Amino acid sequence: MKGNSLVTSTASIVGGLLIWEVISRFLINNALFLASPSQIVVAIYKLGLSGVLWRHIEISTYEFVLGYVIASALGVLLGLAMAESRTAKSILQPWVSGLYATPTIALGPLFLLWMGIGIWSKVLVVITLVVFPVALNTEVGLLTTSPRLIEMLRSFGASRKQIFFKLSLPSAAPFVLAGLKLGIGRGLIGVVVAELFGSRAGLGQLISQSADAFNMPNLFAAVIILATAGIVMTAGFSWLEKRLVPWTRD
Amino acid sequence: MNTPKLNVSGLVKKFGDLEVISNIGVTIGEGEFISIVGPSGCGKTTFLRIVAGLEESSGGEVRIDDTVVKGPGIDRGFVFQNDNLLPWRTVLDNALIGPEVSGGSDAAAKSRTMDLLKLVGLEGFEKYFPRQLSGGMRQRVNLARALAIDPKILLMDEPFAALDAQTREIMQTELIRIWEQGRKTVLFVTHQIDEAVFLSDRVLVFARRPGRIREIVEIDLPRPRNLSLKRTPEFAKYVDLIWGMIEEDVRHSVLVEKE
Ligand SMILES: Nc1ncnc2c1ncn2[C@@H]1O[C@H](COP(=O)(O)OP(=O)(O)OP(=O)(O)O)[C@@H](O)[C@H]1O
Ligand SMILES: [Mg+2]
Repeated sequence: MKGNSLVTSTASIVGGLLIWEVISRFLINNALFLASPSQIVVAIYKLGLSGVLWRHIEISTYEFVLGYVIASALGVLLGLAMAESRTAKSILQPWVSGLYATPTIALGPLFLLWMGIGIWSKVLVVITLVVFPVALNTEVGLLTTSPRLIEMLRSFGASRKQIFFKLSLPSAAPFVLAGLKLGIGRGLIGVVVAELFGSRAGLGQLISQSADAFNMPNLFAAVIILATAGIVMTAGFSWLEKRLVPWTRD
Repeated sequence: MNTPKLNVSGLVKKFGDLEVISNIGVTIGEGEFISIVGPSGCGKTTFLRIVAGLEESSGGEVRIDDTVVKGPGIDRGFVFQNDNLLPWRTVLDNALIGPEVSGGSDAAAKSRTMDLLKLVGLEGFEKYFPRQLSGGMRQRVNLARALAIDPKILLMDEPFAALDAQTREIMQTELIRIWEQGRKTVLFVTHQIDEAVFLSDRVLVFARRPGRIREIVEIDLPRPRNLSLKRTPEFAKYVDLIWGMIEEDVRHSVLVEKE
């Protein structure tokens, strides 16, 4: 069964690429509108050879990692505070829930004004996109600790602190990981869009520069690299989840 | 009776206006095996939780060795109806949670717990995770975990209720075997009257609304006991006797619950 579905998925991808190739070569046949997969591969190869591509990837990676790490740490701390203290919850909850639902990415141009064209305006966008889902998931994870398990620990005379470290924290882990996984996609969008608003380098900048020059192969090259990054990171995360919290599978 | 171990007097429990337990008084001797039966909702679990120190009483007191119970403690081990195992811990680490929490998780505790796992028939499964075990095996871990703190009193709340009939019978004989080796004082809540008769020295028959002790039945059957005992007329007589005591109550509670 499993092998079969893998074959089907592979066939679907290969088939899709073939159709794409045929459409762009024979039906549209205009490099200003659509690049074919083979053209994109060539574009990636050329960009890679010239060294430009690595520069873009490096900058975007740097912005993403910086924002993501800061947001994760901050998000877990916020979630902890909201779960543990009623006061902290009343103060933070409206902001966190509100900002989670807000497309904070729209604040990108504002951050650009504040912090200039360098990486920090992008890092800030990533942070605002990633921090809230992580915070909310951490909070929910801590609050959904099973009352039956709490009682089990209490029956052995466990203190509040022991219940927190031996029970609440590990049972929140799957939720925290789910929040972090959600953050990957949001963070990538943040980097690219923030770079579109204005930047000197990065994959988003490659996209806007290629669009201005009607260079479809280069534009798609950047998109494909971003897609690959998202897929690989999400898959890596799923793998990590299987190792770290294997009990959630059933 | 041996030296008294557990003394309950004038115990009352109210949830708001609802009186769940009314004036329970009983003295239980060291090493006695006591079962508690009664219709659903008569306060058996509540009674056990008060003895465990997990719930505060509204009146009266529980004494263990003449000391009033004020909260949970490692002189009592609770075996839960749902095994309540931590899914991220192995069998051994689950069983060790009690010593760990009370600061006694050293090499000695570990080797003692290994022996206990052997005693409950889980040798070789120490490194397994709960999701890899059957229901019966999980209940064995549940039991070993309570025994690992070497409690004076074992409190068991329908520990076999979730098991199938065959596994349940096996667990009953296993429990007797384990109890014979340590002779802990046991309070065992069950809905199965034959289980209560089979295991116990005395059976406390609870009545409902409010929960109280209706009758205490002394089970005068020889030990050691094995499953063939269940087919003797003496055994059947005890089961009938106790069933007769709670029949009306149970009928009533079933009807009430249907409404
Ligand atoms: N925390 C609580 N708050 C309010 N009422 C409660 C609480 N816990 C138990 N009760 C009530 O107390 C009564 C006795 O409950 P308890 O769980 O002790 O019964 P039981 O004899 O163990 O029943 P069963 O055989 O179904 O397990 C029930 O009517 C129940 O609704
Ligand atoms: Mg109960």
